[in-house]
Amino acid sequence: MFARLLGESFARNPRRKVLTAAALVIGMAVATATLTIALEVGDRLAREFRSLGANLLVTPESDTLPVEIGGVDYRPVDEGAYLNEADLGKLKTIFWRHNILGFTPFLDLPAYVSETGGATTLIGTWYQHEVPVPDGTKFETGASATHPWWKVQGRWFGDGADECVVGAGLAQKNPAAFAIGKAIHVAQNSGSGSGRPLLITGIISTGDAEDNAVLLPLSVAQEISGHPGKFRQLFVSALTKPADALAERGERAQTDKNIQLTPTEYDRWFCSPYISSIGFQIRTVLPGTDVHAIRRVAETEGRILTRVGTLLWIVTLAALGAAALAVAATSATTVLERRAEIGVMKALGASNALVGGIFLAEQVLLAIAGGAVGFFVGVGMARFLGESVFGTPASPRLILFPVVLALAALIAMMGSLVPLRRAAHFRPAVILRGE
Amino acid sequence: MMFWRLVLQLLRGNRGRLAVAIVAIVSGAAVISALLNLDLGVQNKLTQEFRTLGANIVISPASGAPAHISDAEVPSLMPEHDVLEVMQQLPPTQVAAAAPYLYIVARAQNIPVVVAGTWLDQAQKLDATWKLEGSWITSRADDSHCLVGRNVARRLHLAVGNPLELHYLERSAQCSVAGIVDAGGAEDNQVFATLRAVQSLANLPGQIGVAQVSVTGTAPVVADYAARLATALPQYQVRPIRQVAEAEGALLGRIRLLIVSMALLILILTALCVLGTMAALAMERRKDVGLMKSLGGSISRIVGIFLAEVGVLGAAGGLLGAIIGAALSYWMGLRVFGTAISPRWEVFPTTIVLMIVVALAGALPLRMLGNVKPAEILRGE
Repeated sequence: MFARLLGESFARNPRRKVLTAAALVIGMAVATATLTIALEVGDRLAREFRSLGANLLVTPESDTLPVEIGGVDYRPVDEGAYLNEADLGKLKTIFWRHNILGFTPFLDLPAYVSETGGATTLIGTWYQHEVPVPDGTKFETGASATHPWWKVQGRWFGDGADECVVGAGLAQKNPAAFAIGKAIHVAQNSGSGSGRPLLITGIISTGDAEDNAVLLPLSVAQEISGHPGKFRQLFVSALTKPADALAERGERAQTDKNIQLTPTEYDRWFCSPYISSIGFQIRTVLPGTDVHAIRRVAETEGRILTRVGTLLWIVTLAALGAAALAVAATSATTVLERRAEIGVMKALGASNALVGGIFLAEQVLLAIAGGAVGFFVGVGMARFLGESVFGTPASPRLILFPVVLALAALIAMMGSLVPLRRAAHFRPAVILRGE
Repeated sequence: MMFWRLVLQLLRGNRGRLAVAIVAIVSGAAVISALLNLDLGVQNKLTQEFRTLGANIVISPASGAPAHISDAEVPSLMPEHDVLEVMQQLPPTQVAAAAPYLYIVARAQNIPVVVAGTWLDQAQKLDATWKLEGSWITSRADDSHCLVGRNVARRLHLAVGNPLELHYLERSAQCSVAGIVDAGGAEDNQVFATLRAVQSLANLPGQIGVAQVSVTGTAPVVADYAARLATALPQYQVRPIRQVAEAEGALLGRIRLLIVSMALLILILTALCVLGTMAALAMERRKDVGLMKSLGGSISRIVGIFLAEVGVLGAAGGLLGAIIGAALSYWMGLRVFGTAISPRWEVFPTTIVLMIVVALAGALPLRMLGNVKPAEILRGE
């Protein structure tokens, strides 16, 4: 009997049901879309933040003090410690290896250019270099990943070729010698013959110290400096999670003997992609190094990510609130509009419980149908939003499906509860008279 | 007179139905005004957050960065007052921090170390992410103290309070270590002292190597400021730091686009909700229309009365909601950024007009009442 009443109600007045269902579909679509985006935005934005470049710096532990001004190391080549290029593949073997998006080794050395007779700095590095990983694969990385804002006019040097890229500042000062297509000869000492010939393939503009230096492939720089297979600094760009209290404790526990992490805390710290735990893991595969977060980048990123995350959750809550409001308002209106029907039912002897039950069952059925359609519409919206904001569509989260359905049912029920309670006080006679 | 009395009467009667509509309008207006305020405020806040990335404009001598700075060679320098004079002439509001730097390579315990002379009070704002053990030097005239980088402290076995002797050519200077800097960068290998102290140690009075400026604002604002600096200082090289400028612009754009698109979704949803409620309200009024019509009211007048009712509802709900929304965004600013987002005046009229328009659009079905037959309605069909 109950089911028949319910079926009749749907069959008799489809127009009104369509209105409620439409509100449910739109409301739940917005809820799904905002929830999907909010769940994914942390990862997406963290990836975007890598346009700031590297956030970890690896240097030799037992090093002399680098005499570094404006990003260029002025130490003589025979001073200080070096790191081994051959070890770099191990970076892709750590626990958070997939979060290592790129790394670039640097070897700075002072040199003379015989064409101008002037001193300059050579910076040996990778642009796109294939690093052999111990598991047999190759990983392509270099300045293209860690220094994405570097702009080259012309083309980059070929990896391992006798080519170079000249800083814009140098090129501006001496356009005759430093032009694309010309060759320069560089040597460590002004007296030692003509030096090594390098073909200029591009002019680089970085907005930093490299504008006044010559960039060349790392292997060539190593040969000029007489330190094959070595480098001085490694910039690592890693996807990280904003630091929290545990991250801070984990970081301090490594230097401060007074702070001890409990085994569970340690596991949680080690298995979270904090910048401090990734740094720790890098140090274990590259012994004898000092790994440090580039605080300026890491902290700005962490803070903005946390703030935007909170902001988006608030906006998501607002969206959920608006969706709830839309659904509740429609449900309330439906009940109010059907007072006459309620009056007839009660006049025929239906109890308040039965009337309420029928209405609630109706609302829940509608909510589930509307929520299901709304979920798929919302997935489409999230895909579109992700595509337009981040360039790649947001992937749907199936876990949201039951959540959205439950939410829809709950809101629809809540929306009809208040008017239904009032309907319980209706006196059938008054309503049927049409007042 | 009669018109407004009728409107008032209508608003007074039928409270239950109106409550739903008012709740819908007020909460809709609150959400819209909060999001509008937030969207206008968020860019401001985020550009300030990005300032922890440090300087975004560097002024240096035109001959490029110093090619070689060692004990014997004099680096390329520029006079301090040239740069400062120009900076004082430009509007200071956009400048978050600015500091001149003079770098020399001195010797401490016979080890070469980079010594940076600067205004430490400004340097603190330029590098807000430095972690300091000990205390900061706040006075530009405090020549007796210095800060040392983490690596310098480790290498020279220095602790807070220890004396440090610096030698440059035949001159020497002594300072006591006020703090140890953990910067996570090249600064970890440097010693920081006041500009005056380093100038006198190097015997380069009034000379600086570079000036760093941190300008608050979007990419065009920064570029504009850099261009003005460049025209005022033609003899020097003024360059925006690309790493900061590019990443900041791109990230801000994405974050704003994200918030705007989510706000837009909510806006549409809220408008639909208000629209639906108003439409339901209008349909409810059919009986009143029938009564009025049978009493001889003209259709345009009757619809006019309802539209006035709906308009008043929209305006009142919009105003109330706008105020609640402003309070909401104020709270959100406090919660998210630690500083309040002050409400913008233009949000209020926008919200109210929007709510009136939506409410009136919801009442449009009333126009169909023109062909209502009073008798039928009064009979209750």
